[in-house]
Amino acid sequence: MIDILQNYWLLLLVGQFPNGPLGGLAMTLILAVCGIGLAFPCSIAIALALTSPFRALRASAQALVYIVRGLPLLMFIFWAYFAIPALLGTSVPGVVTMLFALVIYESVYLAEVIRGGIQALPAGQTEAARAMGLTHLQTQRIVVLPQVLYNVLPSILSQFISTIKETSLGYVISVNELTFAANQVNSILLTRPFDVYLLLAIIYFTLCFILTSCVRLLELRVERGRKSLRLKTQ
Amino acid sequence: MTSNNAMIEFAGVNKFYGSYHALNNINAIVPQGEVVIVCGPSGSGKSTLIRTVNRLENIQSGKITVNGIDTQSEGINVNKMRSQIGFVFQQFNLFPHLSALENVSLGLIKVQHLSKGQAQEIAQGLLNRVGLEHKVNAFPGELSGGQQQRVAIARALSQNPPVMLFDEPTSALDPEMVGEVLAVMRELAAEGMTMMCVTHEMGFARDVANKVWFMDQGQILEESTPEEFFKSPKTERASKFLSDIR
Repeated sequence: MIDILQNYWLLLLVGQFPNGPLGGLAMTLILAVCGIGLAFPCSIAIALALTSPFRALRASAQALVYIVRGLPLLMFIFWAYFAIPALLGTSVPGVVTMLFALVIYESVYLAEVIRGGIQALPAGQTEAARAMGLTHLQTQRIVVLPQVLYNVLPSILSQFISTIKETSLGYVISVNELTFAANQVNSILLTRPFDVYLLLAIIYFTLCFILTSCVRLLELRVERGRKSLRLKTQ
Repeated sequence: MTSNNAMIEFAGVNKFYGSYHALNNINAIVPQGEVVIVCGPSGSGKSTLIRTVNRLENIQSGKITVNGIDTQSEGINVNKMRSQIGFVFQQFNLFPHLSALENVSLGLIKVQHLSKGQAQEIAQGLLNRVGLEHKVNAFPGELSGGQQQRVAIARALSQNPPVMLFDEPTSALDPEMVGEVLAVMRELAAEGMTMMCVTHEMGFARDVANKVWFMDQGQILEESTPEEFFKSPKTERASKFLSDIR
């Protein structure tokens, strides 16, 4: 297995880059970071709609959440794969298709995390803001969201870890990411699938394990920060 | 007493939680420049009543007028109306991610649209007034309960409201911190601020109140001066209440 790593580490790390398209672990990380990064603002909008005083807005956001959570990610990938080129009239790179599906999927899951955070904030915070004459949106922007986003930071990072694993589904539409690279290695070697896919598992696991440990540290920090309600940052 | 000098006027106010009658035909006046203390057993509707004034709670029928403005009328700018009613909560409800100065200047900047500099100058003055000039840059988590509540009072005063509402302002405090908060409130009363205050601090009521309202089961059962109320309560429920809290 070490010899596979020695021979193909560059392919697993960056794909054919710089002689061909970027791929491998680098593309996996780019997909996950861009996916969460683009989903984040969308998720805030959905979470605000979910907690909005307007019934119609709440209902439509709720419907979106139900629909997306009730369907597998793979289905979104297929839909994006066939629908986006049909709508745009041109072919679209697999990475963009994958990103599109990820953003839709992750924004809904992140929105649920943020909604939970909004509802967990003591009602007194909103009441105090409204009592001084702030509007609903001012209250959300100035008082609620800064506290909520800090509190749910660990959950957001957890969602990022899930996203890393979900990028492997890009394989089905030939997105050049880590699983795709591993499969290429397997095709070259032909006789050592167990070694190759064990190596793949170890790479995913190591990455996610390190990040999960970061989440745990972050959770402790946020917990402490919440207890002392902010002791530092002057 | 005419309603001309009424700061707050409740007229036929009713509130229901489902079928529970939380406020039952409230008719009362808080005159300008006076201090009204609302007391009564828990669940009697005191907090509900005070929270209806700035519409933190909605009412099902009746009329509430504050400083000549019908707070229930349609088309009223609720946020502007609220900015002219100072409200102090039992749990302080300071914003933990903002410093004392930022807590106090927030309304001036976002609601009154003052510049940050002007707002912070006013906020600084208010924090001096509640004796916290040395805690301007402290975050709520670094302050004691009493200090937090004094910041909250400064915050409620920041937009220069003609009336201040206090919803059990000392009930969440350790006993040794009650005094500092009451001292600030006494000072406010002495300056002629109109105040409506839900509290169990009967000593404070005796010293500062012009009127005491005794509530039970969603009704104002008694409305009297503190001397009358503490010496000879008119209803049996009030005398039981007074003996229970002593």
